Amino acid sequence: MSHPSVEHRRVLAAAVLGREPAAPSTGAEDGEPLRAVTGEIRDISPHLIVVETPEGGEERLIIAPWATAWHGGDTPPGDLPVGARVTMRALRDGRVVERIWADTIRLTGTIVSIDGRKDITVKLDCGPHRGRRTAIIPYRASGRLRVRHPQFEPGYLFDAIGVRKDGVSLALLPATSQPSHPAPPPPYTGMQPNISGTITWSDIFDAEERGAAYPMVEPSDAACPDAGMSCAGLPYLAIGSLLHVRNVCASRSASMPIVACGCVAGRFCDRCVQCGTSPRGRIAELAPASFVELGGELIDGCFNAQIGWG
Amino acid sequence: MGVTHVLASQLPVLIVLLSLGTVAKIAAIRSGSPGTLAQLGPAVLVPDRFRRAALLCCAVAEAGLAAGLLVTAHPLFRWATVAFCAMSTYILLELRRRRPDAGCGCFGEVSSAPVGWRSIGRTVVLTGMAGMSVWAEGPGWLAFAHPSWEYLLAGVVVLALLSPEIETLAERARYRAPCEQRRGPAESVTLTRLRSSEAWQAHEAHLSTAEPYDSWRELCWRFFAFRNHDEHDVVFAVSLAGRRPTVRVAVVGSEDSKPLPVYKPVSV
Repeated sequence: MSHPSVEHRRVLAAAVLGREPAAPSTGAEDGEPLRAVTGEIRDISPHLIVVETPEGGEERLIIAPWATAWHGGDTPPGDLPVGARVTMRALRDGRVVERIWADTIRLTGTIVSIDGRKDITVKLDCGPHRGRRTAIIPYRASGRLRVRHPQFEPGYLFDAIGVRKDGVSLALLPATSQPSHPAPPPPYTGMQPNISGTITWSDIFDAEERGAAYPMVEPSDAACPDAGMSCAGLPYLAIGSLLHVRNVCASRSASMPIVACGCVAGRFCDRCVQCGTSPRGRIAELAPASFVELGGELIDGCFNAQIGWG
Repeated sequence: MGVTHVLASQLPVLIVLLSLGTVAKIAAIRSGSPGTLAQLGPAVLVPDRFRRAALLCCAVAEAGLAAGLLVTAHPLFRWATVAFCAMSTYILLELRRRRPDAGCGCFGEVSSAPVGWRSIGRTVVLTGMAGMSVWAEGPGWLAFAHPSWEYLLAGVVVLALLSPEIETLAERARYRAPCEQRRGPAESVTLTRLRSSEAWQAHEAHLSTAEPYDSWRELCWRFFAFRNHDEHDVVFAVSLAGRRPTVRVAVVGSEDSKPLPVYKPVSV
């Protein structure tokens, strides 16, 4: 079934159940609000960055003296190449940049094939909506990646962060540790008002998009045959429902709509260890902009989170 | 006569188990998301695209054997059953070695617990039972008609002790997931429920189409959105909990005429 207006679903559901319709929002419990800016670098100096936003506009932002950048490795912001696609975390009403990630990609999926001895070529099945992707693991990164993927063979899950260079996807950092055997689903513990787990990000969203891909949607509603599976004991929600996400590590929270089916996230049963050990299971994949505005660090790949809905 | 009785005593058990296996496997294939099949033996031993076919093949073989044992006394079916059970034992051993996390899939989705010695023991016992039945006189339906209760019961008890599925079923009944986490009935089933409700009958005349333009599920509710003749939205929410579902309805003005709900809850 097509979705004539998934935003309208919130209004209709609120009306029929007699509750107040909620709207997406962001909010920091402490500290100042963060803004994510995405775009393509037009010009860069150690103190100023000019980017072209996806809508075609231009943004001139000040680079803070303490700012750091990542482009396959830590690098001074002034050394980033012109033309790189960046996601930035900005402070002070979004005018001062303190963290830049350039050409950063995330390779999440099931391994289809592995070739090569030194530089390894991995083919990934990224789920029914996202198709297949091919990534290269350079020799220098392979040890680090394989130690976090104890079952590095076709049929097992793979999740890595990397960069796109000259049209090639390089996987460089492991996102999380994968368990050596798939874990059984958690025992039933009743419906908790707040569910905890790990929240990750994905690069399949449009550049400026904000929202989440949620695994527990009815397969027939979302035209997503693999959905409805989760390790975190999640309830069923719909595309268009509002999800309240709280980043436990950074004490920031936001409400965002569910915009896609997150069936790939539902297959993972790993934990996030950014601040303490999270319960097992991925709750959702966020758009990079939403992830950054919640205080997430793209190259860490996840944060411990609690969710609510309504 | 006594020996014949003993030999034929396990035929009903074999026939019932083979039929149950067929039904459960077909159910797993029908409902099965690829994720479920990826955790069930023997499907996990074959490449992804053959999984459904492998499980279907097993189900067809079991159905064929059950039918053969039931209606004829031909040794072909008897020996084939022995071979099938012996091969199952080998496959389970292989499964335990190669994929210790996968379930045996003997009874479809219920057998999702990792293969243990009990499941393997069960196939060994079944092989023995099948071997015993080879020399039994008369077709299976005769054994159903004149069962030797004590041997039959003994067989059932042994198999029950070796079946981890019974515990899985008991656990599922005990710890039933709340409706927010359960897969809901199909959309058409819920729509039929809606159409038999009072709320539907009260609003049906005002709707411009009989089919909803949008439908979605959130927590324990399934929503159906319709348009009425004034181009307003008529939303029905059907509860997925309980046998007699609650149905609520609201008429929502179009987006430009801001003031929203004229809602009233109605129960069936």
